[in-house]
Amino acid sequence: MDNTYIPVQMKVENILIEDPAKTLRTFDLSFINSEDKERFKYMPGQFCEFSILGRGESPFGIASSPTEQDFLRFTVNRTGLVTNEIHYLQKGDEVGIRGPLGNWYPVEKFKGENVVIVGGGFAFTTLRSLLIYLLEHRKDYGEITVIYGARNPDLFIYKDEIAEWEKRDDLNLHLTIDKEVDGWNKMVGFVPTVVKELAPKAEKTWCVVCGPPIMIKYTLPVLVELKFPNDRIYTSLERKMKCGIGKCGRCNIGSKYVCIDGPVFSLEQLNTISEAF
Amino acid sequence: MIKIEKNKFDEFLEILKKEYNVFAPKKEGAQTSFKEIKFAKDIEFNNINTKIPKEIFFPQAEELFMYKDSKIENIEKKKAIAVWGVRPCSAKSFILIDKIFGRAKQKPGDKNFEDPLWKTKYDDSLVFTIGCNTPASTCFCNWVDCGPFDSTGSDVMVYDDGNGFLLEGISKKGIKFLSDIKDFEESNDKDRQNIEVLKNIAETMLSKPIDKDLLKVKIDKSWNHSIWDEMSAKCINCGACTYNCPTCHCFDIQDEGKSNKGKRIRLWDSCMFPDFTNEASGHNPRDLSKDRFRQRFMHKFKYFPENNGDYLCTGCGKCIQVCPVNVDVRDVLNKIIEF
Ligand code: SF4
Ligand code: SF4
Ligand code: FES
Repeated sequence: MDNTYIPVQMKVENILIEDPAKTLRTFDLSFINSEDKERFKYMPGQFCEFSILGRGESPFGIASSPTEQDFLRFTVNRTGLVTNEIHYLQKGDEVGIRGPLGNWYPVEKFKGENVVIVGGGFAFTTLRSLLIYLLEHRKDYGEITVIYGARNPDLFIYKDEIAEWEKRDDLNLHLTIDKEVDGWNKMVGFVPTVVKELAPKAEKTWCVVCGPPIMIKYTLPVLVELKFPNDRIYTSLERKMKCGIGKCGRCNIGSKYVCIDGPVFSLEQLNTISEAF
Repeated sequence: MIKIEKNKFDEFLEILKKEYNVFAPKKEGAQTSFKEIKFAKDIEFNNINTKIPKEIFFPQAEELFMYKDSKIENIEKKKAIAVWGVRPCSAKSFILIDKIFGRAKQKPGDKNFEDPLWKTKYDDSLVFTIGCNTPASTCFCNWVDCGPFDSTGSDVMVYDDGNGFLLEGISKKGIKFLSDIKDFEESNDKDRQNIEVLKNIAETMLSKPIDKDLLKVKIDKSWNHSIWDEMSAKCINCGACTYNCPTCHCFDIQDEGKSNKGKRIRLWDSCMFPDFTNEASGHNPRDLSKDRFRQRFMHKFKYFPENNGDYLCTGCGKCIQVCPVNVDVRDVLNKIIEF
C-alpha cells in the first residue's frame, strides 16, 4: 500500500552549528535510497516533515536549492521535544523526511524582472534556497537585492555564505542588526525601517518577505507604501502543522491550508482572509 | 428492491459475512455503538441514537505504521467492511470526509496525497443506510442538504416498515450486491407505497430549514461581530461536540514507543483545544476560546463550503445532545442570520 505517512530514509551527512548559543543547527541530509532521490523534486519555498522515530515529526522549510543536487538542507531552531532531539543527531545518523510539501515562490513569474528578498533571523532558510536558485540562474533575472536582519550579528545563519555573497557584484546585500554593537560596521535598525530607508524601487520588481510574524506584519505595509503591488509581494507563513497534506485540519487560515495552499501566499491573497493577520 | 423479514436476518447476515467484516449497532451498557457483528441477535435495530460510526473507517487512535530498529512496517489491508444501519446523516458524513481524506492533490513532485488508512477501509466498503422514520428533536438534517431518507453516501438504502426491511440498491456496488443475492422476496407496490408514507411522516417531524443564501451572506460579514463573543461565552472548550461529530476529521500525530521499536499513530484532535494551534514558539493564532469557537462554525459553514461545495455538517444533532452547556448549532446559525 502506498502510505504517504511513511517517511523517506535519510542520512545525516553534515552538521553545522550556526550560533554561539548553539540553538541553531544546520543539517545536510542525503537520500539512502537512490529511487527516493529521483522522486524528490522540489522548488524553493517548499517544506518537509522531519521525522525522528519514537519522537515524532516537525515541519521545516527546505534551505537547500534544487540546483544543489548532493544534499537536502534544514536549519533547526531548538524549541521543543522534536527539535531538541534533532539537535542531538550525529553525523551518520538515520532520520526520515516526508515531502516536498506545500507550494513555492513563483520563480517563473520573476523571470526577466528584479527580485527583492527581505528576511529576518533564522527564517532565512527558504530564502537561502530561493537566493541560491536565482544566483544559479542569474541571467534569467534582473537586479537582486537582499535585506537580511537579525537581532545581533551572532544570529545570522549561513555566515560563511553571506561573506561570499558580499563579494559578488551582481547582488545587493544589506545586513542589519536591531541594536548597535561593537565591531559592527553595517546597518543598524529593524527590518521594516531599513526597507523604508533603502526604498528598493517597485517597478518591474517582485518581493519575497520571510521572518518572524511581527517582522512580516510591519514590513508588508512599508512595501505597499513603496508602491509594490499586492500581487507582487509574497510571504511564507508558519502555522503548527502535523500531516502536511491537508488532512489533519490544524494549519488553516480561513479557508486556506498553509500546508497545501501555502506556505507561500501573495499579499493579495492574504488580504481576502480575515484570519490572516 | 428486496424484502428481508426480521426473523430471516441471520440468513442475510451470513451472506454478507462471506465477503465482509460486518459492523452494526450493538448495545453495550447504556451506549449503542458500531461494533463488528457475528450474529443478528447482537444487533440493536431500533436505536436512532447510536454513537457515530465514524470510527469504523477513522478510529479514534490508529497506527500509521510500525517501526523496529529503523525498519518501517507498513499497515496491512484487511477484509472489506460492510456497515449495517447507519443513518443518512452518517452516510453523508463519509462522503464529506472522503472529500478530504480521499483527495489526491497532484502537483509536480508530489507523491500521492490520498490518505491510505481511510481509503483502504472506505473505498471497498458497503454502506447500508436505514431511513429515519422518526427523526429526533435534535435532528436538523433538512437544513443542511441531507434528510431522513437522503441516500448520499449509501450503497443500499434500507426502509424499516415494521415487519421487515426493504433494501434498495443506490450505488453500482449496492445494486450489484443485491442482484447477486438470491432467496429473498421482491418488494411489491404496497411496500413501495408504505415507504412513501413513512417518508412523508418523517418530513413533517422536522423544523423549517434556515435560509441558506442569507446564511452565506451573513456569515461572510460576521467575523468581527460581537455575536461570536456572546455565543462562545458559555463554551468550556471541552471538545465533546467535535469528538461526537460524524464530519470532524482533525487529528494529531504522535509516536508511541522508543526509538528502536514502536509505532506512529494518529489520534482524533479538536479545534476546541488551545494546543491544537499552539506553536512551539508559544504563539497561538487561536488563543481565545472565542477564536476556537468561531473556527468550528466557520470551518463547517463557510470554509468547507467554499472549498468543497457542501456544509461540513449533516444535521445529525449529536453536538447538541452532548454539549454540557447547551450550545445548539441551530441557535448559532440563527444568530448569524439575524444579527
Ligand atoms: S456539527 Fe453537530 S449537527 Fe453538524 S454533523 Fe457535527 S455533530 Fe452533527
Ligand atoms: S460540547 Fe459545547 S462546551 Fe464543549 S466544546 Fe463543544 S460547544 Fe463548547
Ligand atoms: S498540516 Fe494537517 S492540514 Fe495542514
